[in-house]
Formats: sequence, C-alpha cells, structure tokens
Amino acid sequence: MRNALGLLFATIAAIAAVAIVGDYFAQSTSSQRFAGGPAALAGAPAASYQLKRLDGATDSLDRYRGRVVLVNLWASWCAPCRSETPALEKLYEQRRSQGLVVLGIDQGESGAAAATFARQLRLEYPILLDEDQRYGRAFSAIGLPTTIVVDKSGHIVRGIDGELSLAEMQQAVDPVLRL
Amino acid sequence: MSAAEGIRLPRAPRSDDSDAGSRRLALLCAGAIVALVFAQDFAPAWPGFHTWQYAAAVVLAAAGAGSYTWNARKGADGAFAFPLGVAMAGALVVAVAGLASGLLGPDTQTLERAPGAVAPLPEAGAAAFFPNVDSTSLARGDIGITLRRRDGSSLELLAGQRRFLGAAALVLEPHVAAYVEARDARGDHLTITQPTNAAFLSSLLQFPQAVPIAGQTLPADQFAIPSAHRQIKAFYFSRDATSKAHVRGFAGEDAVLFAVDDENGKLVPNGIGLARSGDDIQLAGLRLRVTIGTYPGLAISAVPLPLALGLGSLCLAGGVLAAVLRVPLAGRRLSR
Repeated sequence: MRNALGLLFATIAAIAAVAIVGDYFAQSTSSQRFAGGPAALAGAPAASYQLKRLDGATDSLDRYRGRVVLVNLWASWCAPCRSETPALEKLYEQRRSQGLVVLGIDQGESGAAAATFARQLRLEYPILLDEDQRYGRAFSAIGLPTTIVVDKSGHIVRGIDGELSLAEMQQAVDPVLRL
Repeated sequence: MSAAEGIRLPRAPRSDDSDAGSRRLALLCAGAIVALVFAQDFAPAWPGFHTWQYAAAVVLAAAGAGSYTWNARKGADGAFAFPLGVAMAGALVVAVAGLASGLLGPDTQTLERAPGAVAPLPEAGAAAFFPNVDSTSLARGDIGITLRRRDGSSLELLAGQRRFLGAAALVLEPHVAAYVEARDARGDHLTITQPTNAAFLSSLLQFPQAVPIAGQTLPADQFAIPSAHRQIKAFYFSRDATSKAHVRGFAGEDAVLFAVDDENGKLVPNGIGLARSGDDIQLAGLRLRVTIGTYPGLAISAVPLPLALGLGSLCLAGGVLAAVLRVPLAGRRLSR
C-alpha cells in the first residue's frame, strides 16, 4: 500500500510538473507579439467596406466574391504609385477577360485628387475613394502602394508592400486565376 | 556483541496528538497554497506574484504539505494517510501551477496596437484583433477587441471585462486616443500617414511618447500629411493639464496641441494651435479636426494553468472530503 501511494504521488507530481512547466517553456519560444505588414495577411478573409466610386456609385470588395481581385492601395501624392499605375492598367487589359478584377482604392483623398490622377493616367479600372483609410488599416499597409490579391472565396492570397512591375503583378495573380 | 549492539531502544509510538498536529499543519499548508495560488486568478496583474518572496511562500507551504505526504507514505496518521495524502498531492499540483505561472510566466504587459493590427497571444492560444475605428466609435469609447482562438472560434472582450484563456488573464484597458482628419484650404480630404508607426495609414493617435511641456509631462504623438509636405506633432492635454496650464477658453476640457513642421522639421508660421474634440482648427493652410476618445489596449497577465488548478483542487477537495466523511477510499476503510 505504501509503495502504491508513493508511486501515485510520484506519478502525479511528475506529470503535473512536466505539463505545467513545459507549457510555459513552449510559450516562451512562440512567435513574436506583433504580426505586421500585408504579407502576414495571407490566408485571412479580406475585409470589405462600402465606399464611393469615382463615378459616384457605391462599391465594395465583397461585391466581387467569386472572382479574383487585385486590390491596389494608392494616393495621388505617392510617386511609386504613379510609376506603378501604367503596369496595373496593362494587367487589367490583359487579364480582364480571364476574370481578374483590379480595384484601385485611393487612401485618404477627396474625389478631386483621385479624378485628376485617373484622368492623367487614363485609368479604366474602377477607383474607390477611401477617405477614412479603412482599407489601408485593414490590410496592414506599411507604405504605399500596397497590393493585395484576393481569391474567389474572398481570402487574401498575397499582400505585397511597394511598387510592382507588370511581370511581378502577373506572377502574383496568374496562379490564383488558374485555381 | 558490543554493548551498543545489545541494547535496542524501543521505537517511540507515534501519538494521536502528534498525528493530529501534523494533519492540522498539512491542512493549514494546503489552505495557504490554495489562497496564494488562486489569488493569481483574482488579481492577475499584481506584480508580487512574480517575486522570489511569493515563490518562497508557496514553496514553504508546499514543503508542509509534502512532508505530511512523505510521513503518510511511511505509515504515519493511520487511516487518514491515504485520503489526506491524495489531498496533499492535489495541493502540490496547485502549488506547482502557481509557481510555474509566477516564476516562468511573463510579467503583466499591456499591448497597445494600431487599428487593424493582429497580436498573437501564444499563452492564451489565441490572437487579438485590434478593431478599425472611426471618429464616432472612438468618441463613444465602447470599442472591444476580438479574440480568435486556434480552433477558429472567437469572442469579444469589452471594457471592464476579464477573460481567462489558457494560462493568461486578458483585461481590456482603454487609453486615451485621438482620431485626426485633415483637409486643405479648399476642403479636400488629405491622406494622413504615420511613418514611424507600424500602422502607416492610421489616423488614430495613441500618444505613446511623453514630452515635458510647460512644467507638465504630456502624452505625445506625430503624423504626416505627405501631399502638403507637413509633419505634425500632437500633444494631449487632459482636463487637468488644460486647467494647470491656464489655457484661456480650454480650462477643464480635453484638447490636443498641434505643431506643424515642414519636411525638414522646421516649425511653419502660424503652425501651432490647440483644438477641442470635434472642433476644426486652421493651421498653416491646413484644416485639422480631432476627435478625442478612448481606444482599447490589452493587459495580459500569466495565471496558473486552469487544468492543473482543476485537477489539483479536485484531488485536494476529494481527499479532504473523504477524510472528513470517513469514506472508504481505494478499498481501505477509515476507522480510528
């Protein structure tokens, strides 16, 4: 009986100690507290907010559920955005027939600045006006431009910070279009 | 045979008084363990749980409970030995859980993140999603944080609530914040950026710095308006601060002081002004509107693992109950 009691206590103590203490060591080697930047969003459902379009209509990202969407966050004062935009327009022309939607979302500016930008660069793809910069925050933008590729189910496939070339844009959307 | 070998002293029989004394001491120690460890669940942010003094107190109580178990294993305390031995083993499990969270668990920390940020909480087996915010919800001050568990379920943490997840206690702690909007002289909306913040496109100032101004230390933050080539410093004046600073027309009101710099960090003419919540202020060709309110932070404190506490408490309570009721345990009848 004594041996049984001793064995019971020793077993409980060993299991408890290993389980309890081991858990804290497992936590200390876990990931960092901050998961930041658009790249960290891969796999997450894409946030959607209703916004005004340049043509006055109301639009939102979830209206395009069932299609692959390339979201481009930009602003008229952003030089890399201006230099990237012709490639974005080209991508839109090339892949529109395959079901790609390109959504340009102006961050924080009124319609006048966005309209001037779109007119100067002869943009055909829809431009949304996000005066409150909600998409920028939701997509963890750490700069402009920021590009987000959303699959047909509304999940983010890739989040990319910075200016992209046409080839890089094709590389980002083509595998998703093939799914 | 030597004289010493020839004389065998009879072992002193353990008296009932001695057994009852050690039993009382063990129960006292077990009670102390429970009080010390469960206190972590009631006041998880208390820094004393992470000190050597706290650990020493738990170890001392555990030693008392452990010595009873050791003696019981050797046959002391007769029929009480088994149920109270189980109870003391339970107390030891509780003690180990309390020591682990006290010594190995991190000190309480408050996470303040930008709207839209996600903070992994490995100790809670979840992630905290800091919500997007607009001026209206900020002014209301009732914004919560969404906690999403590994299994995909989620729950909302609101102001004043406390949640226990895994080995963590999570408390929502709102702090002062200001939502800023900027327009040019024509009234066109302008992009606001925070180049030094992880949330580049956030219009929410959370005042992470502290700057001495006019004999007071004020919460401070900064943002930029790139299209106007302006950098703007913002200093939060609480009601007390405006009263102490004797600012005419602002005494007893929350306000934010703006200082507008050019791209080289040089103050522009007419670039300083104080704004109340909801007011527009014209500074250096810009129209700024600030809404003052609160945005949630998340205080995380280590607490003992609930599973260990539950199992330990169950053994402790079951063992004590069996001893009190003299219920046969493990096939052994208690009778004295």
